[in-house]
Amino acid sequence: MNQMTKNLIYTLGVIVLLAIPLIASDFLTTMIIRIMYYSLLAIGFAFLAGQLGLISLAIPAFMAVSGYTIGILETRGLLSFPFSVLAAMLMVLVIGAVFGIFVNRSQGIYFLMLTLILGQIVWAIVLQWASFTKGSSGIIGIEKPDIMKWRLGETEVGFYYILLVCFILIVLAVLALTRSSFGLKLKGIRESETRMKMLGYPVARLKWTAFMISAFISGTAGVFFVYYTGVMHPSSINLDSAAMVLIASIFGGVQSIIGAILGMSIIKTFEISLSGLTQRYLIIIGTMFLLVIIYAPKGLMGLIYKNKYMQSLYQHWYRGGKKDE
Amino acid sequence: MLLTLINGMTLAALLFIIAVGFNLSFSLLRVANLAHGAFYLFGGYIGLSMLNHLGSWWLALVIGGLCTAFLAFITEFFLLRKVRGDNLRETLVTLSVAIIVADLMIVVWGGNPKSIPYPEVLNGFVQLFNVTIPKYSVFILATSILIGLLIWLLLNKTKMGMVIRAGVDHFEMVSVLGTNIQRVFTGMFVLAGFLAGLAGVIGGSYLMMSPGEDWRILTYALLIIILGGMGSFGGSVVAAFIIGLIYSFGSVHVPEFQLFLMFTPVALVLIFRPKGLFGRGLA
Amino acid sequence: MMLNEGVRNLSQSFKCCSILFMFILVIAFSVGCSSETGTNESSSANETGAPNDHHAEQNDENGETAEESTDNGEIHIGVVGPMTGGFAVYGENVVRGVELALDEVDHQFDGREIVLHAEDSQADVEQLVTKLDSLKQRDGVDVIIGPSTGDEGEAAVQWAQNNQDILIMPGYSAPEDLTMREQTPNLIRAGWTDSQTIFHFGQFVTDELGYEKIIMVGQDYAFPWGQAAGFKRGFYENGGKEVYTIWHPTDTLDFSSILGEIQGLADEYDAVMYNGGGADAIAFYNGWEQYGMDQHYPQLLAGTNVADVPILSEISTHFEGVYSSMHYSEDLDHEENIKFRESYREKYGEEADAIVLQGYDTMKVILQALEQTGGETSDVEQLRETILSLEINDSPRGPFHFDEYGQAVQNIYIKETKVVDGQLQNEVVKTYEAVSQFGPYEGWEEEYMSQPPNARDFPADTAEEYFEHLAEYFGQDYIDELEANGGWAE
Repeated sequence: MNQMTKNLIYTLGVIVLLAIPLIASDFLTTMIIRIMYYSLLAIGFAFLAGQLGLISLAIPAFMAVSGYTIGILETRGLLSFPFSVLAAMLMVLVIGAVFGIFVNRSQGIYFLMLTLILGQIVWAIVLQWASFTKGSSGIIGIEKPDIMKWRLGETEVGFYYILLVCFILIVLAVLALTRSSFGLKLKGIRESETRMKMLGYPVARLKWTAFMISAFISGTAGVFFVYYTGVMHPSSINLDSAAMVLIASIFGGVQSIIGAILGMSIIKTFEISLSGLTQRYLIIIGTMFLLVIIYAPKGLMGLIYKNKYMQSLYQHWYRGGKKDE
Repeated sequence: MLLTLINGMTLAALLFIIAVGFNLSFSLLRVANLAHGAFYLFGGYIGLSMLNHLGSWWLALVIGGLCTAFLAFITEFFLLRKVRGDNLRETLVTLSVAIIVADLMIVVWGGNPKSIPYPEVLNGFVQLFNVTIPKYSVFILATSILIGLLIWLLLNKTKMGMVIRAGVDHFEMVSVLGTNIQRVFTGMFVLAGFLAGLAGVIGGSYLMMSPGEDWRILTYALLIIILGGMGSFGGSVVAAFIIGLIYSFGSVHVPEFQLFLMFTPVALVLIFRPKGLFGRGLA
Repeated sequence: MMLNEGVRNLSQSFKCCSILFMFILVIAFSVGCSSETGTNESSSANETGAPNDHHAEQNDENGETAEESTDNGEIHIGVVGPMTGGFAVYGENVVRGVELALDEVDHQFDGREIVLHAEDSQADVEQLVTKLDSLKQRDGVDVIIGPSTGDEGEAAVQWAQNNQDILIMPGYSAPEDLTMREQTPNLIRAGWTDSQTIFHFGQFVTDELGYEKIIMVGQDYAFPWGQAAGFKRGFYENGGKEVYTIWHPTDTLDFSSILGEIQGLADEYDAVMYNGGGADAIAFYNGWEQYGMDQHYPQLLAGTNVADVPILSEISTHFEGVYSSMHYSEDLDHEENIKFRESYREKYGEEADAIVLQGYDTMKVILQALEQTGGETSDVEQLRETILSLEINDSPRGPFHFDEYGQAVQNIYIKETKVVDGQLQNEVVKTYEAVSQFGPYEGWEEEYMSQPPNARDFPADTAEEYFEHLAEYFGQDYIDELEANGGWAE
């Protein structure tokens, strides 16, 4: 395959994505929007899980931090659009930094449980501190900023394009990160933390930075979430949602962020298509997940890569062209 | 004040029954059984159906426990053994079991909140220093002391207990010495399931049973284990009391931050003393 | 080297392919879905900003598609609400009520089949918006019934404002602002508002039961806030002095601590009211019985949702004599109610409750409106006018009609629980006829709406503070008149 074919495929992909709101039905567009912002959560999850081997259940908590910051600031008229988003992302970074310090020393199941509890703390605050967060009534009436209401002809496309650009940028940035020396160091930590320490790498700082990056990506998802739905509700960020991010990402395969995106797309598609047919779709999703965990621990992407040729591709891709030795 | 104290202790006693088996199986198998809350709720629902069919609360209690123990056995024997050795995968298997069981329970028992009626003997209350204490609270306290005592005896006075304690500390050593550690694993997991089912029937009478309850109970059990320390029997007792009392005083004085108050000490313990208050920690 | 380069290129394109694959999957799925139901894709999501003539054009288009759907002869009704999780009963029972109403007409209207699409919102507003979009865009439904809980209702009204081209009729959702401060023409509610059912209960408690200071324990979210607000208005304006409110977070495991606190206050207060619903209500009752609270308080009062059928069947007969108020009571003995309860029992083997009734009545209203428009649903404005002009006389809850805001005006019943055949049942002790969502404030609508929306601590906990606020919005004249009348004029 030569350079030209490659460029052709890239261009084609971008054109298809750009054209979606104009040619596809409203239903398809809204679904792709949802898949994209949920995929951001999955990317945040997969970045930690894939690079560091850490399973974080606090991912939706960062979505909550940015979403609620925007919701509270805007519905109370304290700050408006560009500044509220800045404040929200700043808040995510601050909370991410604090949580990052907390979780820095733990690994394995301890990390999972600690992030579970940190996530639950955020959930408990938004649920119970009703005079501040409106509790289980949720915050409603958050308006999209004008720039996201931009129209092309008769269709509103502003939100879609902004999300698309952010999404692609984040995917590219994370891919670049995983191939950079930073990504390699993280993988070193995943293999053996003590060895990396002995080699003189600042393990704690590296882990902290990775945690912050994951928090930042999840926070971005929160911004789009809150503007798209216009509501912020504790049930969007409870343990169930954390489990859903985990399931979707691991289902697709956390070794690669593409896998996580694939997993999230499948789970969300399933959720929407199955819920019309049966109310008991969680059994189906749970069973699928169980089978994946037992028989394909690396997820669907892992299954795809099992093929020997694909395996070499995979190796190449994630080592960024460098030889293994 | 005194009443709040007693309420906190009742809840602590209930949570202790749920957490102690969980803690032992956790420290032995190294699996955070995320289906434990679903087991609890399952036991409660089974107890309710049994009560409706057989009419005896005590029978319902035993059968609820046994059915849950069987469910735990299935989970361990057919699912967890397939992925033995990878703690993270084992934990994820229990997560999917939790999701499937929770949804199945909605299919069978519906989404309406339910509660199990008390047995006649435990209905009513006793007066103590001007304070009204339900008989049922006394029953829960007594039961948990009994269960605690039995488990303490099991751990400290039997050969099985020695193996378990040794297994918690030096996992490889025990298997090298020729004990069939797999069987001990299964036994411990089933025992934890049995206690969860038992607590489900007791808790289903004391509290409510509704979808979603499973996750909450699981969270509380996790809080106790983390706070008390993995594999520490005494730690579970102390932590259950701390959590129960925070819950009860929190809901009277600062309802808006009650859950926050419950989670924060646990987070602090995890940060500064990851092994928990009394835990020896995992290798 | 060459090989290496080739592998890299391959890997790159593989990455692209996988992304493409993902989208193809999605596209294939949605095409499958839309071709299945013949989606009405012409309606764009946001009509609000469109100029008027464009709007008319849009209507024409819709008219065309409606004709198309006449061709394949189906009317699509969407129902959305929580079908899983702790609030499942609110969604599921609305669906059952709708099905019951459809059974009566054999799922047919004028020879056209009526197709029902039920979607699960999981009591999560994000899911709700997703499902509303799916119903409208994928299934192309003509009318949406739902949602069913308070917070969902608030999100739904926002959605309705952005989707003016479809009629949405809330199921069991009660926040008053849906049809008041945030009203939108395409939302009509055949149900109730949180304050509407309880204004007169406040009056009843102080006038007939003679209580001046009561304790209210309630769940800390919008619906109980609204109930508390309505109750306090009726209570204070007729002579009540204080309502001490204790808010607890939803899903409180254990009420013993709160009950302990109440026990200590027994000397100061006359009665206790529980203002919540679902599992919490049952837990509260259980605790009340366990702690022998009857020794301390002679009377237990209940918010609208507390004494409904599913809860009464879960608590013991110990709770005879609990007062509450609602727009429906299962013991109403007119023919329609008896028939309604019988056919529900026959179909589902359970007792019907107010949630079922809501679905049932809403569907009946839609059917009646369809009869008048000849099955036309595309013109929302016409549909609204038709519904607002309806007089419904065959509802199990008694007669009702709609006010100009699209909210039902109906009878409010004060009920007392009685043991009938070993089972608790409500019995109507007093009826207030044709109560609108403004209750006793008819003629004062503007003043009422100029107040801030009901909130956790508004109106205040004491009569004194309450009247200060009241003077600010209603003027001193109103208060003077109240005092002269000794409360609301009958």
